[in-house]
Amino acid sequence: MFKLQMTRRSVLASMAAAGLSAGFYPKASLSQDGKVLRVRAYSDIQNLDPAFRKSSPEDDVMRNIFPGLATMKPGDAWQWELDSATKLEQVDPTHIEFTLIDGLVWSDGHGPVTAEDVKFSFERMIDPALDSPYKGDWAALDHVEVQDEKSGVIVLKEPFPPLWNVGLVFGSGRIVSKKAVEAAGGKFDTKPPAQCGRYSIKEWLPKQRLVLVRNPEWPGQPGAFEEIHVIPIEDEKTAELGLEAGDLDYTWVAVSSIPRYRETPPKGGKIIVKPSLAYVWLGMNQEKAPFDKLEVRRAVQHAIDVPTVLEAAYFGAAEPATGLIAPGLLGHREKNIYGYDPDKARDLLKQAGLANGFDCTLDILNKAERVSAAQALQANLADVGINVEIRQHDSGTFWSIGDQKSGDTWKTIQLLMQRFSMQPDPSFATEWFTPEQIGVWNWERWNSPEFGELNAKAKVETDNAKRNEMYIKMQDLMEESGSYVFLTHEAVGVGYRDAVEPALLPNGTPIFYGFKPAG
Amino acid sequence: MLAYAVRRAGLAIAITAVALTILIAMIQLIPGDPAAVLLGPLASQEMRESFRVQMGLDQPAIVQMTRFFGRVLRGDLGTDVLTNRPVLDTVLDQLPFTLTLIFFSIGWSALLGIPLGCFSAIRRGTWADSIVGVLSVGAIALPSFVVAIYSLLFFSVMLGWFPTIGAGEPGKPLDQLHHLVLPSLAVGLGWVGYLARMVRASMLEVLSENHIRMARAFGLRESVITFRYALKIAIIPTVVLLGIGVGHMISGAVFAEIVFARPGVGRLIFDSLATRNYPVVMGAVMVTTIFYVLSTLCADLIAASLDPRVRANL
Repeated sequence: MFKLQMTRRSVLASMAAAGLSAGFYPKASLSQDGKVLRVRAYSDIQNLDPAFRKSSPEDDVMRNIFPGLATMKPGDAWQWELDSATKLEQVDPTHIEFTLIDGLVWSDGHGPVTAEDVKFSFERMIDPALDSPYKGDWAALDHVEVQDEKSGVIVLKEPFPPLWNVGLVFGSGRIVSKKAVEAAGGKFDTKPPAQCGRYSIKEWLPKQRLVLVRNPEWPGQPGAFEEIHVIPIEDEKTAELGLEAGDLDYTWVAVSSIPRYRETPPKGGKIIVKPSLAYVWLGMNQEKAPFDKLEVRRAVQHAIDVPTVLEAAYFGAAEPATGLIAPGLLGHREKNIYGYDPDKARDLLKQAGLANGFDCTLDILNKAERVSAAQALQANLADVGINVEIRQHDSGTFWSIGDQKSGDTWKTIQLLMQRFSMQPDPSFATEWFTPEQIGVWNWERWNSPEFGELNAKAKVETDNAKRNEMYIKMQDLMEESGSYVFLTHEAVGVGYRDAVEPALLPNGTPIFYGFKPAG
Repeated sequence: MLAYAVRRAGLAIAITAVALTILIAMIQLIPGDPAAVLLGPLASQEMRESFRVQMGLDQPAIVQMTRFFGRVLRGDLGTDVLTNRPVLDTVLDQLPFTLTLIFFSIGWSALLGIPLGCFSAIRRGTWADSIVGVLSVGAIALPSFVVAIYSLLFFSVMLGWFPTIGAGEPGKPLDQLHHLVLPSLAVGLGWVGYLARMVRASMLEVLSENHIRMARAFGLRESVITFRYALKIAIIPTVVLLGIGVGHMISGAVFAEIVFARPGVGRLIFDSLATRNYPVVMGAVMVTTIFYVLSTLCADLIAASLDPRVRANL
């Protein structure tokens, strides 16, 4: 009979062998046989209902599992293209005709995708009972007329150009199954009751991954990869290491890492830099002394040397901004009105009776580049006699400090550094600075009825040239108010493996179904 | 012994209740409106209000506390306000990953730390003892996130031996083990040093006692004296330390779970705190508190069963 002989020496040898074997264990390769694409999402999915999605990783997933009439085209320019429609045409300023492609079928036996589904999907976005946070994307929608099983007309109450840049092409334009969603009680969370896209969800393991598998019933061009693994990784540095080690095929990298990767690209990978749509600015609360004086606000505008601030925070990877709206978009401004001039800043402070300077606070989010930028701003302002105390907040605290309904901290804000992101329509950038937004997202508490009026008019203006002028004028008003110093639009660093050919929107947003094996 | 176990179990329940009461009180002090953070910039005021009601944030702290304990007694930890999943499901999804990491970490650190401590004690005052001492203190001083980052850079990026992210393919134990190596190195390394120092100190105390001198006088082999007589006594404080260590490792696991993008309760609490998802924070902290209290209780009971002097004082 076999008898196990265990000696101290044999146990130690076995342990050593086991330890060494880990080193030789075959590592899970990326894009195994070109079948699996492994991409990073900066957060886990929380809600896949187009009416209640929480963040862009959900948009990235929804684009693959729900059809839409139109979608943004991968490339370097913001252009839309047909998605699951053969026709999408604005026949007059308030009527858009559409026809769905043939062969679209919902999963789980919910039948074909019909114009009724389109009507249900778009009208539920403005349903007061549902109270979707994205109702603004369809603010001008009156109703959808169904003509036959595949065709219909989107009827607007008034012309609404943002629909083409936001509502129709992003998450709010995804179509859901009327039958399935109604059966689920009118809305859903992380388990879509029916899917119809180039991919469908195979499994979701919270905090681990979401697996998309190619949909064999998709009537159009199939996705190049059999499976797409969407891996939630909050920490940017971990994701960068994952890319370098070959465990990820695609990720965004930290802006501060871009210069390092420009010098030394990751082995077996590439880094490209895309212009971001985000906008970062230094704001001043007009209701809090001494920033209630225009001279003081203007002095701050003249005291800031934006390129120096950006060098400190982004190591040369980000360009100075000339307003809210990024280059390449309608409404982009070519230059700022007030530039760096510390002598003028000192004169203005003297005029305001603050020749000896003053102390104030600067509220920021506790992210590395924000802290570095704040320190550079602090140095710039100290140069003209303004002593800044930097107050760092975690995201949970920061995003409500200016909200009047969340307590009294809004009363203490003096300077603040903010970063908002946007969709590729200028209306998305300007709507937070209207008088109605004071105490909600207008934390500078800048009250300009003229700005509010222009914002409302620009939203419905169909002449692009006039619209462009309106948005430029609105940014001029912001700068003239003295409450804003436009800093940067940042930049997006995108990293991917050589084995992959990514499909990216102009700002680096991934279109997973468009990714292909390289070559 | 039974009465002692019952008394300690009662105390464990009281500790859990006090810890949770403190947690709820602390949550009231955290700045930031959960409704604003969770619902985002586009949410209407009506949505925010209805959300506050749904989370019970419109109620005084004492009411929130009573409701929470009432639900816990019914086995309901509430609902994750982001995904609408039961908090218990969310926590139980993540708990096995954290437990695996902790037990694997404590396991290898005990396997290495205890023999190192014995070795160091036996060779007291020699260069070998000095080297072990320096390495042990160095290991204790290294923060786990530093070990995590450098082990990733060296073993994953440079050598390509281990994966950088995740917990491995579900249903593939070897792959999961492969993904466990570096995180458990990061979590357990400090404990190797800690255990080595602890065992060395205990061993030195025991080795100087009369019964050991007596054993030597009888001519017993040194290995028998060390492992059969001295270690058996010296290990008792270490067992208690391991019990507490298991609880402490939960906090070490938070860093490892974030750096290695591993699922787990630590990362769940961290993410939920950032988004002010309080039902998940409370549910997850409750589970980890219970786990901590249970591990300490087990350590006390094991120490009592091993040491007749402790039993005699019960």
